[in-house]
Amino acid sequence: MRLKLISCEIFYREMCAAVARSPHRVDVEFLPKGLHDIGSPKMSARLQEAVDAVDAQRYEAVLLGYALCGTGLVGLTARAIPLVLPRAHDCITLFLGSNQRYLEYFQNTPGVYFKTSGWIERGETAGRLTQLSFGNSGEGFSYANLVEKYGEENAQYLWEAMAPSYRQFSYIEMGVEPDDRFERQTREQAAERGWKFEKLQGDMRLIDKLVAGGWDDKEFLVVPPGHRIVARYDESIVGTEEVDIP
Amino acid sequence: MPELWKLHDAILNGDAKTAVAVTQEALAENVSPLELVQKYMVPAMDQVGQRFECEEYFVPELLLAARAMKGSLALIRPLLVASGAEPVGRVAIGTVKGDLHDIGKNLVSAMLEGGGFEVIDLGADVSPEKFVNAVKERGAKIVALSALLTVTMGSMKNTIQALKDAGLREGVKVMVGGAPVTEQFAQEIGADGYSENASSAVALARKLAAA
Repeated sequence: MRLKLISCEIFYREMCAAVARSPHRVDVEFLPKGLHDIGSPKMSARLQEAVDAVDAQRYEAVLLGYALCGTGLVGLTARAIPLVLPRAHDCITLFLGSNQRYLEYFQNTPGVYFKTSGWIERGETAGRLTQLSFGNSGEGFSYANLVEKYGEENAQYLWEAMAPSYRQFSYIEMGVEPDDRFERQTREQAAERGWKFEKLQGDMRLIDKLVAGGWDDKEFLVVPPGHRIVARYDESIVGTEEVDIP
Repeated sequence: MPELWKLHDAILNGDAKTAVAVTQEALAENVSPLELVQKYMVPAMDQVGQRFECEEYFVPELLLAARAMKGSLALIRPLLVASGAEPVGRVAIGTVKGDLHDIGKNLVSAMLEGGGFEVIDLGADVSPEKFVNAVKERGAKIVALSALLTVTMGSMKNTIQALKDAGLREGVKVMVGGAPVTEQFAQEIGADGYSENASSAVALARKLAAA
């Protein structure tokens, strides 16, 4: 099969490794991690643009290296060829290999903030803690540009108000890293903040499966042409509904 | 006579120092506390909400405006209570269990206070039991639940279930919000209302309080 993969750059190293191992010919396009921070309507519009730009004659399906991502994928529509995406709330499911493992770990680890190579080296806000996925942030904020824009006293207040009370970094090692640089960085950041550090072995299973084909209905959603993605508030996480294509 | 429009502008511009100073001056000169709230503070916060909706303001501006308003309210509230003015309603608010992301909740909390509600802010990562206790022991009539992560949206459902199990569901209204939350989700979990942003949350709470 010839497949097109449109993926968040958070998975850069992992998707490249999976593509290398795939029995199919997979062309890849990475989109900025920053889409996560611009609000769902803009995020899905940007993704739709990328999907619509795919030449339907050349590919059998468009793979999405995404999850539900808030509601960032809601409304995304398959035109002439199907879309395929993992049934997942967010990228941590893909890093840990299953929703169940993610949920169990999340529920038993209060205040956890996850890190992977992509979280560290990708995106304009690489490595910084923000919760700007709330609403329209407009831009990423560093402490320095908060000071510049709002003055020292306000910046101090905002910096504290915008940082949620995480207590732990959990670094997920996916086995595609060159060495322990990302782990070391995360350990150092945890030490600086006085947070707990934990290293988790990631699992490439879902990422490999997305790129290798064989998308079973339990873990993947195949969106047929003329259908769009909807959020489902049960274990299926995402579903489809028919649309009238103009 | 203090220039009261300065209170409006200080809140709009997120200038807490001026907001507090003008409020102090006004109260010293016996301006009615209710007038300060209704004529200057609430309209200022409404305008903040409008600017946010048309993307003139972003989260930092909202947070600064809310801080200015809260600073001013801290001076006014004791006087309102002493004068016997009844709050519009009593709201228990928090981010649901597992979710630490509280910016949205803090904004809604500030907007509700500005809108005349008594707000019991339970903070972040709030268990269903704590919401139940706020209703049982502190008489909250509205429960406002916030979540940012889709993985914690299930906690909203669990909280509503806990209210039912405690036999309290009939007596309270539940409103939900947060980035991944939708009207459809609100209906599916049996909430009484959904609000897309902090300024419409106040209108929703008023509607629920009146129902």
